[in-house]
Amino acid sequence: MLQQFKLAFRNLNRNRRRSILSGLAISLGLALILLIAAITRGEMVGSIAKTIQLSSGHIQIRSSEYIEGKSSLKWSDLVADPQSIINTLEGSSPLNDLIQVATPRLNASAVVSSGNDSIGVQLLGVDPSSTANQPFVEGITAGSFLNQDDGNGIVIGQLLADKLQINTGDSLNLLVNTSNGDVSEQKFTVRGLYTTRTPSYDESTILMTLDKVQTITSTQDHATSIFILLNNREDADMVASAISGAGYEVLTWKDMNQLLLDTEELANSFMIIIYLIVLAITATVIVNTLIMSVFERTREIGILAAVGMKGRQILGLFLAEASILAVGGIAFGLALGWLVCQYFAKFGFAIGDMGINGEMLLGDRIYAILTGGDTLYLTILAFIVTMIASLYPAILAARLEPVDALHGK
Amino acid sequence: MILYLKLAWRNIWRHRRRTIIVISALGFGIMLMVFYDGMIAGFQDAIYGNAIKVLGGNIRIHAEGFSTSTKSYPLMPLTNDQQIVQAAEDLPQVVSASRRINTGGMATNREGAFAVGITGVEPEIEATTNPIAEQIVEGRYLTADDEDAILIGKGLALMMNLQVNDRFTLVGQTVHNQMRQRTMTVVGIYDFGVPSLEQKTVYISLAEAQTLYELPGQVTEVMISLEKIGQETQVLNALKPIMNGFESQTWAEAFPELQTAMETKNGAMQFFSWIIILIAGIGVLNLLLMAVFERTREIGLLGAMGMKPREIMILFIIEGVMLGLVGVIFGEALGIGLNAIFSVVGFDYSQYSNITDYMALITGKVFTSLALNSIFTRGLPVFIITILASLIPAREASRHEPSEALHYV
Repeated sequence: MLQQFKLAFRNLNRNRRRSILSGLAISLGLALILLIAAITRGEMVGSIAKTIQLSSGHIQIRSSEYIEGKSSLKWSDLVADPQSIINTLEGSSPLNDLIQVATPRLNASAVVSSGNDSIGVQLLGVDPSSTANQPFVEGITAGSFLNQDDGNGIVIGQLLADKLQINTGDSLNLLVNTSNGDVSEQKFTVRGLYTTRTPSYDESTILMTLDKVQTITSTQDHATSIFILLNNREDADMVASAISGAGYEVLTWKDMNQLLLDTEELANSFMIIIYLIVLAITATVIVNTLIMSVFERTREIGILAAVGMKGRQILGLFLAEASILAVGGIAFGLALGWLVCQYFAKFGFAIGDMGINGEMLLGDRIYAILTGGDTLYLTILAFIVTMIASLYPAILAARLEPVDALHGK
Repeated sequence: MILYLKLAWRNIWRHRRRTIIVISALGFGIMLMVFYDGMIAGFQDAIYGNAIKVLGGNIRIHAEGFSTSTKSYPLMPLTNDQQIVQAAEDLPQVVSASRRINTGGMATNREGAFAVGITGVEPEIEATTNPIAEQIVEGRYLTADDEDAILIGKGLALMMNLQVNDRFTLVGQTVHNQMRQRTMTVVGIYDFGVPSLEQKTVYISLAEAQTLYELPGQVTEVMISLEKIGQETQVLNALKPIMNGFESQTWAEAFPELQTAMETKNGAMQFFSWIIILIAGIGVLNLLLMAVFERTREIGLLGAMGMKPREIMILFIIEGVMLGLVGVIFGEALGIGLNAIFSVVGFDYSQYSNITDYMALITGKVFTSLALNSIFTRGLPVFIITILASLIPAREASRHEPSEALHYV
């Protein structure tokens, strides 16, 4: 066995340039699929992180009557006195350590009317002092964020402002649906413009203080949900099961982002065929190089056979060559792939909004994420494909008739 | 020159086995790349194709001045819409061309007021061409002689607490800017799993829209759906002669963010595909290098018989060109053939994910596109690489000292 590897190594070394090129093909192939995997994953992880920050949070506490997508303002569909629930959460010491922030939020649908146009928007009532507003506060492009007791101020997305051709300080007429089905109309002053780098969100979300939204929609002290961010999202299930209360429904980010998680699954299954195509191209290079080298060394193989090397051993010799090539190529490919992924993890790929889907919030930049699992899986896949590809040339060599081979036929 | 061609052609077929290896390597590599292209284009249609149809078709034709109007939905009738429909339907890329009226309005009932886009459609045509008709979860699609009938999305139905046969008020404006209010009955509810999008559009029959908004026999838009994304320019060029008094808008102009997203993805895929070409190029270089070493004696003989180094080089380059040409043609034929098969059979991904269950816009089945442009994007670069790759061995071949080369074993 060791003998065969020694021999295989010498053979490869004899044709150094060719061996390096073949190994390089494997390296590039592996580096490429690592990059594709890292970018696909980065895209999904990025969009889930963004959705968590902007809309779903890690955990939400809602009324058990609440229906997703309905944005109902009936009192029975809302959480009453959210602050007392939050106080209870913060009072319990194991939970308080896991929770980063918990804040009540109220959603209402509204219509912006300007000139002859009316545009449907979502009102988001927030507690201005909460750190959960960080993505909006950091994304302010003009003016300032809301103040605690700002009765008629709103903060709107930069894109919506562009569409309506308004700026900070301008006033905006809002028709807001209320809890009893009436529509109340009021003028608000634009205090600031924000961007979350998510066009579909920025175009349709208007921020207002929670108190004001509660007043205008006549929902008193009710909130649509209690929005909770954790220090570590892996604790979500544990925290969710610890929070209990009659009449409440506790949802984790996994429940709320099922669509995104399923998209990830679909994207990954799409990608398998791409990986296989790339590896098949690499395998084509390896197979043909090895077949050529079998033909080139026909005489040599004949001599080996004539001096008593068995077919099985010749097979082993070629497989040993292929595995040295594969291991060398993979080692270099891993290093190369890792470096390239590091680059894209740092600087990212620029991308626009998906545009079709309000639930899927995507940033305008994808950062590559190379996970250990993907690396292991793709490395093994690359090795297996290379070895399967080299079987044919190796069998070809093993089956040569010694006498014919000696004559170079 | 003829002599070189003859000599090169004979040389190629004298080493039948080696030639077959080189050509099959080239062909197989190209086939896989063409298949990759076909798959990527297929994914694109699977993910975005239906969304584009639902969002308003690949191309919309409006009256001149539509895009510069200050309103989001100006009611500007087309002068000769039938002519456009006829011309479009005669084109092979066009799946359907249908007449529409688009306007904005407000849906109101006890639950509140909601801004919606109102689209008047020709039910007899769109029942078979609009993906929405297949996503009716309750009730039915519109018919041409419906009166006061409306088709709404599940998202809106939830928000307004509506079921089939319920009524609500639809407020809009006529072409003369008069308010027009009408009580409509819900005949059907469509659902494609994206509440935010379903909230935005309601459908009524074209005849009804014409009466309501005082546009007798007229329409404001011709919507053209194409077989594949990316055929827009061809179709617009073909329609150019009759476009007097009209202006066109492609989905990419209407949803630039969607286009950016797609272009970024394609950009990444292009970037990946250049690396794939590089891998294939390494394979070609390797094979041609081996082919020359194998023929060292032969080159020595040519030299000994008086062929000049430059002439030997030309001979080898011609051989490279011939091999490249045959390999590329072979590979393109195989690849396009493979794509043709899978453009009919399709890959079914739906089993890998349940996303297609509730995200009806995404098709789980991917049909490859033919990727005819790969002849230039794949065939040409590989052909050029083959020629470049044959340069190195050709140079080496021409430099051999005849006497030494003759003794080479």
